[in-house]
Amino acid sequence: MTTHSLSAGALHADRIAKSFGGLKVFHDVSFTVPAGGLLGVIGPNGAGKTTMINIFSGRLGLTSGQVMLGGTRIDGRSTFEIAMMGLVRSFQHTAIFNGHSVETNLLSALRFSRRDRSVLERLSPLLDQFGLIDNWQRNAEVMPYGLQKMLGLTMALATQPNMLLLDEPAAGLEKSERANIDTYVKFAREEFGCGILLVEHDMEIIKRLCPSVIVLDGGRLIAEGPPTDVLSQPHVINAYLGGSDEEDSDVTH
Amino acid sequence: MESFIATGLIGISLGTQYTLLALGFTLIFGILGVVNFAHGGFYVMGGYVAYYCNVILGLPYPVAVLMAMLSMAALGWLFEAFILERVIEDHQATLMVTMGFYLVMATAILMIFGAESPQFPFPVTGVWRLGGIYFPYANMIVLGACLAAIVFVYWLVYRTNIGRGMRAMSEDLPVASALGMRTKALFPFAFALATGLAGGTGALVTPILALAPHVGDSVLAFSFLTVILGGLGSVTGATCAAFIVGLIEAYAAVYLGGSKGALTLFALVLIILVVRPQGLLGREVRRS
Amino acid sequence: MNNRVPKSLPAEIRPSLFSGHDWIALAIVCLTFVIPFTSTNPQVLSQTNLILIAATAALGVYIMQRLDLMSFAVPSFMAIGGYTVALLSMKLQLTDVFVLAAAAFLMPALCAIPLGALILRLKGVYFVLVTFVLTEIVQLLLFEAGPITGGSNGLVGMPAVKIFGMELWDNPHVLLTTCGLAFVSFIVTSVFTRWFRSEFAAIETNDVLAESLGLAAWKYKAMAFSVAAGVSGLAGFALVNMLLTAHPSSFAPMSSVNYITYTIVGGKASILGTLIGALLLVSATDYFALSGEMSPGLFGLLIIVVTMVARGGVVGVVSGLLYRLAGQSPPLKNGEQDLGVNGEKGQ
Ligand SMILES: Nc1ncnc2c1ncn2[C@@H]1O[C@H](COP(=O)(O)OP(=O)(O)O)[C@@H](O)[C@H]1O
Ligand SMILES: [Mg+2]
Repeated sequence: MTTHSLSAGALHADRIAKSFGGLKVFHDVSFTVPAGGLLGVIGPNGAGKTTMINIFSGRLGLTSGQVMLGGTRIDGRSTFEIAMMGLVRSFQHTAIFNGHSVETNLLSALRFSRRDRSVLERLSPLLDQFGLIDNWQRNAEVMPYGLQKMLGLTMALATQPNMLLLDEPAAGLEKSERANIDTYVKFAREEFGCGILLVEHDMEIIKRLCPSVIVLDGGRLIAEGPPTDVLSQPHVINAYLGGSDEEDSDVTH
Repeated sequence: MESFIATGLIGISLGTQYTLLALGFTLIFGILGVVNFAHGGFYVMGGYVAYYCNVILGLPYPVAVLMAMLSMAALGWLFEAFILERVIEDHQATLMVTMGFYLVMATAILMIFGAESPQFPFPVTGVWRLGGIYFPYANMIVLGACLAAIVFVYWLVYRTNIGRGMRAMSEDLPVASALGMRTKALFPFAFALATGLAGGTGALVTPILALAPHVGDSVLAFSFLTVILGGLGSVTGATCAAFIVGLIEAYAAVYLGGSKGALTLFALVLIILVVRPQGLLGREVRRS
Repeated sequence: MNNRVPKSLPAEIRPSLFSGHDWIALAIVCLTFVIPFTSTNPQVLSQTNLILIAATAALGVYIMQRLDLMSFAVPSFMAIGGYTVALLSMKLQLTDVFVLAAAAFLMPALCAIPLGALILRLKGVYFVLVTFVLTEIVQLLLFEAGPITGGSNGLVGMPAVKIFGMELWDNPHVLLTTCGLAFVSFIVTSVFTRWFRSEFAAIETNDVLAESLGLAAWKYKAMAFSVAAGVSGLAGFALVNMLLTAHPSSFAPMSSVNYITYTIVGGKASILGTLIGALLLVSATDYFALSGEMSPGLFGLLIIVVTMVARGGVVGVVSGLLYRLAGQSPPLKNGEQDLGVNGEKGQ
């Protein structure tokens, strides 16, 4: 174990494996997101990125290995327990409380994570920039997709996590809206000191934001390092050629 | 020993009936994702249609059974296409309309035929005996017919294109659509198949057991027990569970008496729920 | 880059605990206290009694509906409450109405905790199936546990309940007891469901998201199941007290369908719907002199019609009409107003 993983708040996956019945999703994957750090995760569709986030956040159990947050083992604990320990995830497809206003959505996030309204004050520049304040009392369900997605992300941040797991935050956003993700990630790190695990298909975002990435493919971690280095390795390029249609299929879903 | 075997035979013939009901029930759940509260209603109404055709109109019994199957299939088709289909996306709404339809069916039967149990004897009498083992011919015929129907359902589900489509749908809707199945077109068909089976079962079984407007209630409860035990949506699970339920019921009735059999079953179901919430053979509920 | 003035957060508007519908429902239940003192007409008394018991029982369905769960378990918990009261008053000569009411609430509520731990893990359909099976089990147990429950004879010959040592034995007094129990149930239900409305609404709309934000959903589900059981127990008390007998037939499994019908047809969105549903349907059953045999058919038809064309039930349709007359858009789920985009409404 490196000294990183023992520092408070780091997320450390130690030789984790997951299979569904006979289907092996991945095995023997280890990595660390340092406290306050940022690690990108890339890999073709079906590589198991969402499954990994489901495991870290307590929705799914592990087949083997362990997950540590700071000094505590978190695999096998329930979702809300892990969230209360400061590890919160966002969802690949929009996840908001449909039929409720933007305000209620955000207040629910505060209430469930036992935070008070001062967090919203701190978030207000972000809320303003994403256009959520303009839609404050509006039924969130009928807002444009991009706004819903930013609302979902902001709700995760409103719980004041110290580790955020973002599952393809840019998927489904218009090209023009993708800068919001940069703003969000920078804000979360600078203002809240969050560590972030960023799963993303948009290589531009990965290159802009992540000092380091890991690549998942065929059930294994096949490369890690700075994005420009990793993305020029032949076997990473191959992995991506095999799954080149994934971005379209994500948008249509 | 003889009574043990005879009871076993009764258990098995109960098992075949429950299988037919549970198969229909589980097909509807697997394919449409609907818990059909009206299932008991189709069973009872099938019994009454057969009674009407056989006793009142004087048609031969096999024709009466066929009429029961066809009319219940037709009714199921209409119900699915015109009512259930419109709310199919909302699981609570499907529950409400099937429950409402059951109440309407039960009341309709009551208004037409009255609350009294009609005289609907099985056309074949006599008892087959071997040593000390007694087994009425009527039960034997019903057993045979039910087994034939079960084989037919299995053949349909596992050996035909329609069945492959149905299974694909119960496992994964997007895959089924990708295979080019016209998925929605299968809904009324699957529903009609299941309700036809329920009607046929009613026609076969009510002369032996009982025919009265309210017998659908307990049929529904037993279908529920069977599918909870077997795992919702699992065809093999439903079959195994139905035989377990039939045998326990038969033996408990003889050796424990009263409603202890039912209590034993309920206890079993509770235990199953603790250790295996997805039922004996059910798949883990897939989360998106 | 962007040189528009940054907007700050709009001020928080704290919604009140009770909505208009809650107040109306509570007021109606409160008004029924007048009937025992003003009417001696046995028809009116028994009709009011039946309506209040039906409404109280249906609150069990209403509470579980907050979590989008359809519960068939109401008769089981009514039976537990009712038999508890009958046993206490007959075997232990406990007749104080407060003691009995507390027992009728607590006993089912406590039984519901281990049961809830077992079945609340189950999602929608499984929950429905299991609650359905549960009512069957309780019904069988009532018959089988003869030494305690009196088997098929039930428990006959309960003494009248007392309030501050005064016997509540004649018709108006029996109704008074029912009014009290109904009022307590309505208060408990509305305070409980409104207090935790954000939690319930979140679990109902997206429980996965709610948990991922740190909400322990199971706690709220278990609480709801337990409170629903307790309220059903109070209804069981009222029923047993009216009949002066605890009998299995009062808690028939299929009666759960009636309670569901009251809540759905009246409108499942508010507590007023449950009350109105019970009021209309119990009266309709009586008014059309429908023999007990016919009313299931009517209920069935109404359920289908409401589900297909008027999801909000009677209360939903009427309040929708009122909003339209007043030229407003109906509120969002939690009673918030949908004000549209701020810009459209002029700042
Ligand atoms: N609950 C589940 N049950 C069975 N298989 C699953 C489940 N969740 C995901 N899978 C499978 O695991 C694999 C990885 O899926 P996922 O994690 O969603 O990939 P990614 O997010 O990288 O695109 C896929 O083959 C998917 O079908
Ligand atoms: Mg994914």
